[in-house]
Amino acid sequence: MFVGVSVDTNLDRLDKFIKEKAISWAQLADGKSFDGPIPKLYRPNGTPTLFVLDRSGKIAAKLESAEKIEESLQLARN
Amino acid sequence: MVQRLFFAFLFVGALLGTGHPALAQTPPPDAAAAAAAVTEIRQTIDAAWKDVQAYRSGGGKPATPDHPALKWHATLWAYREQHPGTEAAARATADAIRLLVRGEFWEQAHARTEVVGVDDPAWERLSTAIYEEGSTRKDFAYTLATLSRVAAATTSPTIKSAVLLDVGRARRRQGDLAAAKESLAASRSAAPGSASSEEADRVLYEITHLSVGLPAPTFSAKGRNGKTVDLAALHGRAVVLVFWSTT
Repeated sequence: MFVGVSVDTNLDRLDKFIKEKAISWAQLADGKSFDGPIPKLYRPNGTPTLFVLDRSGKIAAKLESAEKIEESLQLARN
Repeated sequence: MVQRLFFAFLFVGALLGTGHPALAQTPPPDAAAAAAAVTEIRQTIDAAWKDVQAYRSGGGKPATPDHPALKWHATLWAYREQHPGTEAAARATADAIRLLVRGEFWEQAHARTEVVGVDDPAWERLSTAIYEEGSTRKDFAYTLATLSRVAAATTSPTIKSAVLLDVGRARRRQGDLAAAKESLAASRSAAPGSASSEEADRVLYEITHLSVGLPAPTFSAKGRNGKTVDLAALHGRAVVLVFWSTT
């Protein structure tokens, strides 16, 4: 499953975006950008950053930058 | 007339005394000139990288005589020699060498690096270019030898912190996590509050808490839809945590 953590500071704008794009997965955001408690735990260098967690809750991969993410998804699809 | 002059002095004196922004924020003429020089050199540097980018996307090969890095490197290096000891020269130096590294002109890059003194502020930026040298060649021998030499000899805490950060990053890439942590901790404590110290802290945290195979940090938070996400309760399912932004 996907869990989104948005670093947006404008939560109205985020909510509107979620509604418009009909994003069904959970979205966490507190408007504190990278200073919120969850970004502080995972310290992403920027967005997008993905952490893949395996079934036992361990970190299986960390993906940064749009190109790398696309590449990995491509590999997963093949 | 004399009285008006007297009051004018009083007024200026009061401004100075209270640290009034009208006076306090006006930089002295040489600071303004230095800032202008930095702006100018940054424009030159930007133009250089745009040129290199265009050359690469046009299919240009590294280490060939028509590579724009050579020309721009010469321009920046000439600037360094004409304006020694300035902030702008430090930037010019670091980017001149970084351009050579990007163009894969290893020998020239090394020759230029050798003449940059261990206390030259250029090292604060040059350090990362030397890391990039090792990263591109997939051999950190030169990177580690050079950066360790600078770390041991420099008297500047910020340079020390910057080069130790890149020693740490190189060690990490080599898979030597114990050595990486040691260098990163030294980088962090060399110049607390500096950008490299903070980055060292971030990388250390990443190695210690966010390496592949470690248990992911858990949290529980309410989502925008009002439902609580408790990561620990999701064990048994694979989860992709996506940090993103609408902008």
